[in-house]
Amino acid sequence: MTDIRTEHVTCLGCGCGCDDLTVNVRDGRITEVDPPCPLARAWFGDGSVPDEVLQSGRPVPLDAAIEHAADLLSAARGRCLIYLGSDLTTQAQRHAVTLADLLGATLDTDTSATAAAGILAAQRRGRAGATLGEIRNRADALLFWGVDPVQRHPRFMARFVEPAGTHIPGARSARTLIGVSVGQDQAPKNVDITIDLRPEEEISALSYLRAAVHGRSSSLEPPRAAEFAGVIDRLAKARYVALIHDGEPSAEPRNPLRVEGLMALTQALNEPTRAALITLRAGGNRAGSESVLTWQTGYPLSVDYSRGWPRFVPERRGRDALSAGAFHAVLIIGSTDLDPATSSDTNSIIIGPRASRSAHPPSIAIDTGIAGIHEGGTAYRLDDLPVRLRPILDPPRTTTAVLQALVQAVMATGARSRA
Amino acid sequence: MTPASQLRIAGGTVYDPTNGIDGVIRDICIEDGQVVADLPPDAPTIDVKGMVVMPGGVDLHSHLASSSCNHARRLLPEEHAADPAPAPRLASQLSRSGSGGPVPSTFTTGYRYAGLGYTTVFDAAVAPVMARHSHSELDDTPCVDGGFYVLMGNDEYLLRQIEAGERNRARDYAGWLLEATGGYAIKIVNPGGIEAWKSGQRNLNGVDDALKGRGITPRAILETLADAADSLSLPHPVHIHCNNLGVPGNSAVTLASMQALAGRRAHFTHLQFHSYGGPGWSSAARPLIEYLNSHTELSADVGQVMFGPAMTITADGPVEYLLHKSSGRRWVNIDIELETGCGIVPFQYKDKAAVSSLQWAIGLELFLLSADPWRVVLSTDHPNGGSFLSYPALIQLLMDRTARDEKIKQINPKLLAGSALADGLDREYTLNEIAIITRAGPARLLGLQTKGHLGPGADADVTVYAREPDIAAMFASPRYVIKAGAVVVEEGQLREAPAGKRLYVRPGYDPALLPDLRRHFASYSTVAFENYPVEGLA
Repeated sequence: MTDIRTEHVTCLGCGCGCDDLTVNVRDGRITEVDPPCPLARAWFGDGSVPDEVLQSGRPVPLDAAIEHAADLLSAARGRCLIYLGSDLTTQAQRHAVTLADLLGATLDTDTSATAAAGILAAQRRGRAGATLGEIRNRADALLFWGVDPVQRHPRFMARFVEPAGTHIPGARSARTLIGVSVGQDQAPKNVDITIDLRPEEEISALSYLRAAVHGRSSSLEPPRAAEFAGVIDRLAKARYVALIHDGEPSAEPRNPLRVEGLMALTQALNEPTRAALITLRAGGNRAGSESVLTWQTGYPLSVDYSRGWPRFVPERRGRDALSAGAFHAVLIIGSTDLDPATSSDTNSIIIGPRASRSAHPPSIAIDTGIAGIHEGGTAYRLDDLPVRLRPILDPPRTTTAVLQALVQAVMATGARSRA
Repeated sequence: MTPASQLRIAGGTVYDPTNGIDGVIRDICIEDGQVVADLPPDAPTIDVKGMVVMPGGVDLHSHLASSSCNHARRLLPEEHAADPAPAPRLASQLSRSGSGGPVPSTFTTGYRYAGLGYTTVFDAAVAPVMARHSHSELDDTPCVDGGFYVLMGNDEYLLRQIEAGERNRARDYAGWLLEATGGYAIKIVNPGGIEAWKSGQRNLNGVDDALKGRGITPRAILETLADAADSLSLPHPVHIHCNNLGVPGNSAVTLASMQALAGRRAHFTHLQFHSYGGPGWSSAARPLIEYLNSHTELSADVGQVMFGPAMTITADGPVEYLLHKSSGRRWVNIDIELETGCGIVPFQYKDKAAVSSLQWAIGLELFLLSADPWRVVLSTDHPNGGSFLSYPALIQLLMDRTARDEKIKQINPKLLAGSALADGLDREYTLNEIAIITRAGPARLLGLQTKGHLGPGADADVTVYAREPDIAAMFASPRYVIKAGAVVVEEGQLREAPAGKRLYVRPGYDPALLPDLRRHFASYSTVAFENYPVEGLA
């Protein structure tokens, strides 16, 4: 019974990417995670993952599975979907994009079902953002818009809001917190100023705030006008404002204009003061997939390689096209809610943690480890900052190594030359 | 590489300024990726009779592999769509498609640099905490050896050392940062001005303006980091982007910055953007280049503006805010982790626009009035002044007075009064001088002993051009490019895309720094000290 403690471990349980955890392992099982963040505990679990390689539900050697996967994918050249789940290292994501390029595949990620609206809005108008360290060290006014980090980002307040910063020696007491709730999307309770909006008021409220920042008046109804005047006054007097919202789906059906309104408001606040918009993201390496896709293709999500070069198709996302039967083969990498069984004549391959336990058994399933638990490398926090992943357990096999082998196997089929 | 790892590049006219060879017909012999004195007569040979042979190009100031570049890429889907980049047909390896435009995807960037005959490229501005990202991008940028400069001129820990008069600790921190990031040189962008932007003071305009309440001046930052680079024996001196970029009258702070560093080695980057008279727009190229000409410890790259689409990407957040406000274009600002900033605004330089025309003219004045090509080298600050793909057109402007004069007739003359270019500069660069400003000079300024020349022991990075009356066409499409001995471009076509080598320094530091630095991380950083350094550099 020896305990192995690993320090400075990065947790991908949410997008904060905390890299200050200590993880205890006994007999190959994770027994303790410190600090005891509930999300971290759930994400690490005991670290056990299945270790199987299956073809049509039967065990096969890894080499045979990879070769068969290469054949299925190459035969479907130009009619493949490669779909990336969120729990992959940047190194694995790079190989996945390589495969898509070789196969003339459509490349889609979990992002297209979640944070896409904000990414597309930022392409239209730009954005004002910051890394989390700037918020911790400078933000003296924080406006939470329809999100309470405590639920899905349990350590956000303790790491970035409550401590003292270089420019905030007074810690939490030197910061003003403003909570704007939008219907069921509730802001934190322990704030200094609270506003409750009905969903149908939200977009006009954002317009009003932006006009007021520009020094223009608008015809808001009296009770609201007074509430907002207080908020505007506090924001304009702040030295550095952080606006915080949630990039992932939440309780309230999301008006897509929300994120664009928040981006516009944040940009406008840089006239009287300084301001940055923080988009909370869920766990895994979501920002990393956007980063890798962007540097390899030019586009952050929804890429179609079928013409021999990357094209941006945000209006025709792969996961939607899959259910419409557009693909002859689908390769799912990592863990995702995407159901490959939506099209019965599509060959499906899953490479990732618990692939062999998929609800709808694929043609080929290759179990791998989890990025950050069994596989080292790089992941990106919700603020696009790359962090180191330290593996704490041995994997059945790494996703990166399997993908690397699959790239070689696909090249051996001469996929590119058949283009 | 040929099976025997040998190659004779036979019969070309060689321009190798480092070794004093100016247009001499001779063979260049290559073995195991290096230039050697001779080879057996039966070694594989490429016949390049009548062609021009130079060392591979060396770009000492580009923006190609950083988190800021990637934010810029993300902002330009329409530019990528307009410039698709199918995978080249390579002889033996996996090749990759991508997209172009002002900020191409990584593989396409590597292929296109190689296609121009460049074999070494540096990214000039990387936030230390984003170093891991830059290494990943460089891993996906084939054909070129490369590295990056580490942004330090607005770093909170460094500023605290300056504030406390701890210049030795500042030096050790610079050494530690270079080791932790795998960087090559110290970069300063708008000394103190980015911290001013982030802390509500908006900017610093003169070398003796102080950060509010802290007494830290651009002068102190420049001196501290120039001394650090010297004291750490870095191969490249401190690389400086001055205060007030792009603002009329900024030549005063540029000159004051040069004077502040009197006697110290320093490289002033994209000097064109810092050479404006004031209060209205005018050229101040002459006084700056004359100062530079007479101070041999200083060097510069020009940062030429070329007409057409560009992408402005800089750590200089406040300047991009001004450009956004004046142009109304899309704007990205990212404040980065008590270290630096990032600003992005897409831009277009138009020959009908008075300011663009002035900027274009000032860049050419700097080139044409430079007395020493070894110290005033070619750049467009890619993609800020224009894409690296415009280097051939720029070389034509420098070598061909007729082409230059034709262009001068087409540009907006409104602000050109007092410009030396308008008065007529008849200088034409020679091929030898072009070889200096595009390879030998940058390599020497970078302290790269095995780059930028073709003497025995040099890396076998060689570019061969077919002579053409159209100089731009000649430099746009080399006939052969050899990288570390491998024929990368053959008959004008990309054939191989080998991975490049990473160039970085290990200058060392006094470990007495570490307890204090750990305390700083523990108090203020959101990244663990133990996880900060990049791992796995070869």
